[in-house]
Amino acid sequence: MTVNWAQILFNSVVTGSIYLLGAVGLTMTYGLSAFPNFAHAELITLGAYSGYLIAEQLGLGLPLAFIVAFLVSGIVGFLCYRGIFQPLAKRGATIIHLMVASIALGFILRHSIGAIWSWRPLYFTTSWPAFDLGPIRVTGLWLLLIFVAVALAFVMHLILTKTKIGKAIRATSSNPELALASGINIDRVIWITWFIGGGLAAIAGIFRAADTQIWPMTGWDIILPMFAVAILGGIGNFYGAIVAALIVGLAENIGVVALAALGLSTSYRMGIAFVILIVTLIIKPQGLAMLFRRA
Amino acid sequence: MDPLLYGLDLVVFIGIFGIVALSLNLEFGFAGLANFGKVAFFLIGAYTYALLSQIGIPFSLCLIAGALISALFGLFVALPTLRLRLDYLAISVLAFGEILRLIVKSESWIAGGDWGISVAPAISIAGASPRVGVLVNIGLVYFCLLICFVIAQLLTNSPYGRVVRAIREDEIAAEALGKDRAKYKAQIFMIGSAMAGVAGGLYVQYLHYVLPGMFMPMVTFTVWIMVLLGGPANNWGALLGAVLVELFKYGTNLAKPILPIDPVNLQYILFGALIILVLFYRPQGLLKESPIKTKALELARYGRTVAKNKGS
Repeated sequence: MTVNWAQILFNSVVTGSIYLLGAVGLTMTYGLSAFPNFAHAELITLGAYSGYLIAEQLGLGLPLAFIVAFLVSGIVGFLCYRGIFQPLAKRGATIIHLMVASIALGFILRHSIGAIWSWRPLYFTTSWPAFDLGPIRVTGLWLLLIFVAVALAFVMHLILTKTKIGKAIRATSSNPELALASGINIDRVIWITWFIGGGLAAIAGIFRAADTQIWPMTGWDIILPMFAVAILGGIGNFYGAIVAALIVGLAENIGVVALAALGLSTSYRMGIAFVILIVTLIIKPQGLAMLFRRA
Repeated sequence: MDPLLYGLDLVVFIGIFGIVALSLNLEFGFAGLANFGKVAFFLIGAYTYALLSQIGIPFSLCLIAGALISALFGLFVALPTLRLRLDYLAISVLAFGEILRLIVKSESWIAGGDWGISVAPAISIAGASPRVGVLVNIGLVYFCLLICFVIAQLLTNSPYGRVVRAIREDEIAAEALGKDRAKYKAQIFMIGSAMAGVAGGLYVQYLHYVLPGMFMPMVTFTVWIMVLLGGPANNWGALLGAVLVELFKYGTNLAKPILPIDPVNLQYILFGALIILVLFYRPQGLLKESPIKTKALELARYGRTVAKNKGS
């Protein structure tokens, strides 16, 4: 069997792009609020269904679907924090309580979606042109996805380094007390991060749904790779997440080839993220964070 | 369906999940460990039972083997993360459960893959009616529950249990007193996993089949609701939680014909809401943490009472 390495490399970038979009919100809110939000998976699913509602059920087109989905998941993400996690933390909830609350919230969102749209898989009907670039087979969807992910990385970099809110996010993430003492409105910084993180999760959800299918577990299906990205990249570290998303994408795509060569089921690709997660925790729990200044 | 049988069925499930709730209570309530992958150890016990009983090993040995293998896996999963932050244990154990389910699903040579296999009941009496069959199961399940409950009570009311609680309250202080926190946590995690393994075996022999779909992450969180609702760090609370949650599940299933939406969706929406309400308004659960019982404390309390009575 000959392996088309160029194709694998390209597919890795595609996979990594989805994981980056999905994991940015997870890692940033994890860093700022100091607990992993398991309901982040459901923000991805919710975004995918909102996009489906706009683009397919109402027929208003994909561009509007992206905008509405971003707003819906962003607002729900913000409301989850403002309405549940923040008051719980103020009442002295431990990190375990916050994690359990996020799982509970995930149940509510996932099964509400299941009750509204049913558990049958749905598909986006938009067809994307497919063509060959040298040895690589690409589709318009994948190119758009990579473009969006690169644009996001660029814009986030500018926001984090050049704008006041970006600097405030970095300050709050590295030392909340000092940020508060310097007159930064910490609450507002955290709210904005939850909003943006939720919105980006929705974008990841639409791409994932358009590429495969959409059902109430769409987000949960990729929760492991996203945690692998967040922890390998260093919790709360945006630049680390970019590198980690590419590493996880690469590992999964090479891993699938290896699995096929070994005669194992390719559904084990999820196990690859698990291995990355465990190995990172054993060798270097702080992840790649030391390679980058805190962001 | 026979209504009496339906009620007895409920009693069996309360017993089985009571064991799992006790085991989570040991880990979360007493030791402060966030086991988000309880279902993984339930699965290990279940598949161990199913595979061993197939080759004709007596049911008691199958249950014990399930407990031991579960405990070993518990050690293996917990060890890398026990010295790290609490959230890392939660994430990696959750991931472990998902991977295990994936393995038994993809490898159909293990136990039939997605379709599962049938499991022989632990005790079968020739010619007995279904009611007698369920009654025999109730006996078996509650015997195991009793053993687990006694173990949990003895563990948590002993000097050992006080060290575990001390580590939960303040790891560094406990470590400064010479208590190896990772060792204690690993031991508790192994005992908890072993109990979940026994429950897994009891579960599949009662249902007469095993398949990967029985081990979704929801199972873990159903048990979390039991412990949070009943009262963490109180063994009676864990049992109370198991009774309430199973009653609620049966209630919604019974009400299925009159509900406007699918009862499964409704159940999990309500479970989610219930967890959040409990965390907001009663994080200590219905029953509070049982006070520590020691001879010294009893004497001190007695002395205080005597002094008060003399003074008045």
